[in-house]
Amino acid sequence: MKGALEVRAITKRFGALTAVDAVSFTVAPGEIMGFIGPNGAGKTTTMRICSTLELPDSGDVRVDGISVTEHPREARARIGFMPDSYGAYANTTIHEYLDFFARAYGIRGDARRSVLERVIEFTSLGDLREKHIDALSKGMKQRLCLAKTLLHDPAVLILDEPAAGLDPRARVELRELVKALAGMGKSILISSHILTELAEMCTTVTVIERGTVRGSGSVESIARGVSGIQRIYARSIAGAERLERALLELPFVKNAHIEREGVAFDFEGDEAAAASLLATLAGAGLGLCEFAPKTVDLEDVFLSLTEGRLQ
Amino acid sequence: MNAPATTGVRLEDRVNPILVKEVRQALRGKYFRVLFWITLLVGTLIGVGIVSAIDEISFVETGRVFFMAIFGVLSAAVHCFVPFSAFLATSAEWDENTYDLLIISNLRPRQIVQGKLLSALIQALLYYSAFGPFLVFAFLLNGIDLGSVGVILAGSVATSVALTFVGIAASSLATNKVMRVVLMALFGAGLIAAWGMSMGLAAGITFEPQVLSSIEGQVAFVAYLTVAVVVALLAQSIALGRFAHEEENRSTPLRVMSTVLVLFASAWGAWLVQQFGDSESIFACHSGAAALLFFPWLISSTEPEELGRRASAVGPKGTLATLLSAPFLPGGGRAATLCFLQALLAVVTSQIALGFTASRALRLDNSVLAVAALYAYLLAYTVLPAGVAAYFVQRRSARVLLRILMVVAIPVGIVIPAMLSMFFGSGPGSALSHPLNPFSTLYDIQFGAPSPFTYAVLGLALLLALLVNAPRVFAGLREVLRARASRVQQAEDAPRA
Repeated sequence: MKGALEVRAITKRFGALTAVDAVSFTVAPGEIMGFIGPNGAGKTTTMRICSTLELPDSGDVRVDGISVTEHPREARARIGFMPDSYGAYANTTIHEYLDFFARAYGIRGDARRSVLERVIEFTSLGDLREKHIDALSKGMKQRLCLAKTLLHDPAVLILDEPAAGLDPRARVELRELVKALAGMGKSILISSHILTELAEMCTTVTVIERGTVRGSGSVESIARGVSGIQRIYARSIAGAERLERALLELPFVKNAHIEREGVAFDFEGDEAAAASLLATLAGAGLGLCEFAPKTVDLEDVFLSLTEGRLQ
Repeated sequence: MNAPATTGVRLEDRVNPILVKEVRQALRGKYFRVLFWITLLVGTLIGVGIVSAIDEISFVETGRVFFMAIFGVLSAAVHCFVPFSAFLATSAEWDENTYDLLIISNLRPRQIVQGKLLSALIQALLYYSAFGPFLVFAFLLNGIDLGSVGVILAGSVATSVALTFVGIAASSLATNKVMRVVLMALFGAGLIAAWGMSMGLAAGITFEPQVLSSIEGQVAFVAYLTVAVVVALLAQSIALGRFAHEEENRSTPLRVMSTVLVLFASAWGAWLVQQFGDSESIFACHSGAAALLFFPWLISSTEPEELGRRASAVGPKGTLATLLSAPFLPGGGRAATLCFLQALLAVVTSQIALGFTASRALRLDNSVLAVAALYAYLLAYTVLPAGVAAYFVQRRSARVLLRILMVVAIPVGIVIPAMLSMFFGSGPGSALSHPLNPFSTLYDIQFGAPSPFTYAVLGLALLLALLVNAPRVFAGLREVLRARASRVQQAEDAPRA
């Protein structure tokens, strides 16, 4: 797929340990995929494989249609990788640092100068361009690394814990930058332990644990995929008790109980069954005034997938 | 005006990015600035001191003494500070965690190594420029001719380049901090020794310039330059391998270079035999080659056995060509194959170099026998322990430890039997003469007759080396053939797909 990151059944072993086991997912252009999992789940190894820094024992990754195992140099030209820990050279200013990497990517002459200007402006580093890197704050260093990552205008961005150690303002700014990059049509794979942060910017998530993918897709679809159950909240003018009694007589409804002024219940049916349920309740003369699925957040999904049940 | 500006921009674009970065960092860093001014100050003070004592030194000696004093300071700079700066610059890629960023920026290992070398050479050039007026002054003081100055400076540049390459290679070997500190100490000690050696050579030429007029002196100078070039090329091969990503084929350049070294030693020895008629020259050349081959053999024979996915993907199509290329591909077993082949090549080419004259065709020349014993020892101290360790050692940290132990094994192998021998009553003179000591055995072959026991021990070590390595040698060859079959299959499937 043009501009996409396609991970196809990659496996990586380190001795007896299988760090990544048949992991597959796809990040489409303009999509921001959150890559979440506990420590040691295989996130960084997967990201390093995607960035050509590790070679999978089997499987392949395609970046903009180019195989990272067969054509790593061509793939690197399409990948922007921001590692979780990265170095900054001593005795070097921001401009010199970016100029060095622009040269390393083979950007020459006027093109290099204009790229540097664009990237510095995009990451708001203009006022600091002559400042030595050693003197930068953590947030500014993250911006600088992101700027370095964007120099060669990669189609795919792989960001490993970019928000780690940032203060709230820097996190918000980083989030806006990432959203802007997705708006430019870049495929973005981003890992973080700050799930609320990811929930606000990601269009999809992939959950990984012990090297295997536990779920991939939108948060809602994963939640449904995990349990097959949808949690619904309903409220009627006739009162919570009458509504509860009515619900308990209907198919696919379980665990109905009064919650605040309404009734919360688990529904095991599909969308057609849900539509039928809604029609039945509306026609039962209960005065149904609220009927909505309860919101499942990323934290719920993460905890349910990594512990095996929806919490 | 535009044309030169455009040319300037184009030229600037062509400059190696690593060179630009390294020069910026080095010239701004404290290390270079402080050492440069201190060196210059010390040189000036020494120069002034000698000139003020000019009445106490004979007229002919003044220029020589002044030259040696100034060269001593310059030599410290270009043979110690500059290579050490290259070592530190390479270490910084691991210390500052920038290695991955370099790899994904698509810079080639050659660009990285060359950039670091050129940056070091620019620093050396600044030292040479700063000390140029002093050297000219030494020439004007009389006592040293221009030819000697030129030869000494040429040797000095070659030494500086070789030591800088060694610094880059040594630093690239250790990504682990503790290991790097150990290597840094060893390299620092080596640099001080190299400084002493270069001073000794320079003093020899300065105070006895007639040595350069003799054919022996000229050959010795060319041999010195040759050794410097060979050391530089070997170190470069090691550094290129280390700067290639772990998943890439890191081994082939080093293996090709070590094979070239064996052939080169025989060719150089053959030429010396032809020129001076002394068959010991061939042994002398291979002694130098064997000393340089120790590290390539140690590194490659202890590599992991797997061919790797990227190395499997490329290679010759024919079965014979695949088998011939196998020893040059990554993997410890394949390296063991190459080590045996290189040893055989050294013996055969040495015999050819000495010529199959009627008298020599019937028996091996002592020098060829010594060459055979030399490589047998090299196999016994590298390929044999590597073959044994291949059954147990899997983890990277264990592999690093194994390599350190293999280096330590040589002095231990020489000293422990000698100590045991002394303990059980032999005199200290004879104690060091035992089969595990290559120096005593090789001396005996050249100038005496080693005991049959020595030959038996050496033969047994060779046999053991063959036996313990045989499984991984065959496994390595099978893996290469399987990779070839897979490539052929894929090529056949591709048109159908």
